[in-house]
Amino acid sequence: MLTKTVPKSNRGVRGFLYEMQKNWVYYMMALPALLVVFLVNYLPYPGMIIAFQDFHFIRGMWGSDFVGLDNFRFFFQSVVFFRTTFNTLFINISTIFFVTLTSVIIAIVLNEIRKKMAVRFYQNAIFFPHFLSAVVIGHLLIHVLFPTQSGVVNGIITALGFAPVPWLLTPEPWLAFVVITNVWRGMGFTSIVYLATISGIDEEMFEAADLDGAGRLQRIWFITIPMLIPAICMMVLLSIGTILFGDFGLLRSIIDGPPNNPMLLPRLDIIETFVFRAIRETVDFGTAAAIGLYQSVVGFIMVVAANWVAKRFDSSYGLF
Amino acid sequence: MAIKRSFGENLGQVLMHFFMALLAISALYPVVLVFMVSISSEASVATQGIRLIPTEFSFSAYQLVFATPTMWQAYLVTISVTAIGTTLSLLICSMAGWAASIESVKYRNVMAMFFYIPIVFRPGLLPWFMVITQTLGLRDSFWALIIPTLVTPFNLFLLRNYFRTIPPSLVESAQIDGAPVPRIFLQIVLPLAKPILATCALFISLGYWNGWTEALWFIDNPNLFPLQYMLLRIQQQLELMRQFGIVQGNMPTQTFRLATMFVTIGPIILVYPFVQRFFIKGIMIGAVKG
Repeated sequence: MLTKTVPKSNRGVRGFLYEMQKNWVYYMMALPALLVVFLVNYLPYPGMIIAFQDFHFIRGMWGSDFVGLDNFRFFFQSVVFFRTTFNTLFINISTIFFVTLTSVIIAIVLNEIRKKMAVRFYQNAIFFPHFLSAVVIGHLLIHVLFPTQSGVVNGIITALGFAPVPWLLTPEPWLAFVVITNVWRGMGFTSIVYLATISGIDEEMFEAADLDGAGRLQRIWFITIPMLIPAICMMVLLSIGTILFGDFGLLRSIIDGPPNNPMLLPRLDIIETFVFRAIRETVDFGTAAAIGLYQSVVGFIMVVAANWVAKRFDSSYGLF
Repeated sequence: MAIKRSFGENLGQVLMHFFMALLAISALYPVVLVFMVSISSEASVATQGIRLIPTEFSFSAYQLVFATPTMWQAYLVTISVTAIGTTLSLLICSMAGWAASIESVKYRNVMAMFFYIPIVFRPGLLPWFMVITQTLGLRDSFWALIIPTLVTPFNLFLLRNYFRTIPPSLVESAQIDGAPVPRIFLQIVLPLAKPILATCALFISLGYWNGWTEALWFIDNPNLFPLQYMLLRIQQQLELMRQFGIVQGNMPTQTFRLATMFVTIGPIILVYPFVQRFFIKGIMIGAVKG
């Protein structure tokens, strides 16, 4: 019975039509998601050619003149290229490093704490900042922690007998503040991942170590940490793939908290915040498209490279 | 408890509790502070700065917040976006996730690839902005707040991986009984996937509730501002008023600032104790799947 319904050729157009006829209900169910992704994520691809154009609104994407690499030349020679790339990379690399470090420590500590009620409380507490929006976090920084006159940080500084610092006019430490903020709101999430990995470690290994007379620190050093390393590598590699993409929501809400803060702007300008201003404020589409293309291409190389390394590391890893 | 523990081990426990308590306080302190200041009187904040324990209570900031009609409107927008966006997104993603999980669907991996390519090679912000404003014509549209994040590949793959664990024999036996595929999906598959659906629903609704960059990109009509964006606008206006010295009489600026902030966080705090375990479960599933 079955052999009759299977066509001779399972390939090519016939195979395709047969598959559509057989499973059309499933494809119809996937259609809305496919359509949305097509509209939102695929339709923009042709627009990338604006990077090579002297874009005019009236003439549009198909009528504007091609200017070769002029947009790129302009961008790569400007101060903006180095500044935005540096800020984006600095924030992301430091965030990956410190979030990983803190989360691993938290996961190990939570695993060692005996009172499970307390563990649950700590976990819930440090996970909470993940639920706050970028706008709220931006305003916590700008209006609660760092205002010159009534800020919490200056309150502590004056209580210790020092002169208050006008933080919003002091751009130097702000990159570090952003990284600390990222650690603050990322540690709960990431430590859950590592704690899950630790709880997956075979209990027998710990029992064997106990029998051999290993102390708590030795158990952590010789079992827990080595067992965590694959998970750490995996998480770090995944984040390296997006290392050139910044957190637009957070940075924009800090920069724009006091509208277009002239002091913080150059220090905290990342690629996305610059592109936003190029599109919505200075209306410089050519540059915006050029930066976007640069970011996409380098980002693509980073993802592929990170994936390649992950696969060499262990063939079951990797995203594709 | 007959087990004897050494002094060193007890000291270790104390130190670890101390370390974690410090982190827990750092995580919760800012929000508690915001709340305490928002219920202080403006005068006490002005004279004594931001303090955890208010010397004088006052709810005038909240009266002012709730007397602002734009706040109510923003609340309405955010609630609608969250409710409609979450429902649609969950429905669309779970249907596609299920289709991509069925072994007998030949192009399931092609579909997965289709969802995956834009994450690996992103088209960039400008073309994306132009498509949504021009091609789709969503500028100043309610749907501009929903459609850009309607399909999140992360959730889709999370759902697909979960659906894969459902034994195919369940679906097959229902098919032999003559049940149509959509009915199998609604009556057998979705009820089995309740835990992961709850997790995804929470991920999605948190994203919509906290979302504001879509409004920044696409919305100029104040009636369509969601809560978070309204918060940003109010803070900016207060800042401008302060800079130009046009703060009227006894308007509670600082407490008003923090009250608007707390009004946007409030609902999250209310649901947090009930939902956080679903999040933790979801992250663990995601982590184990890799």
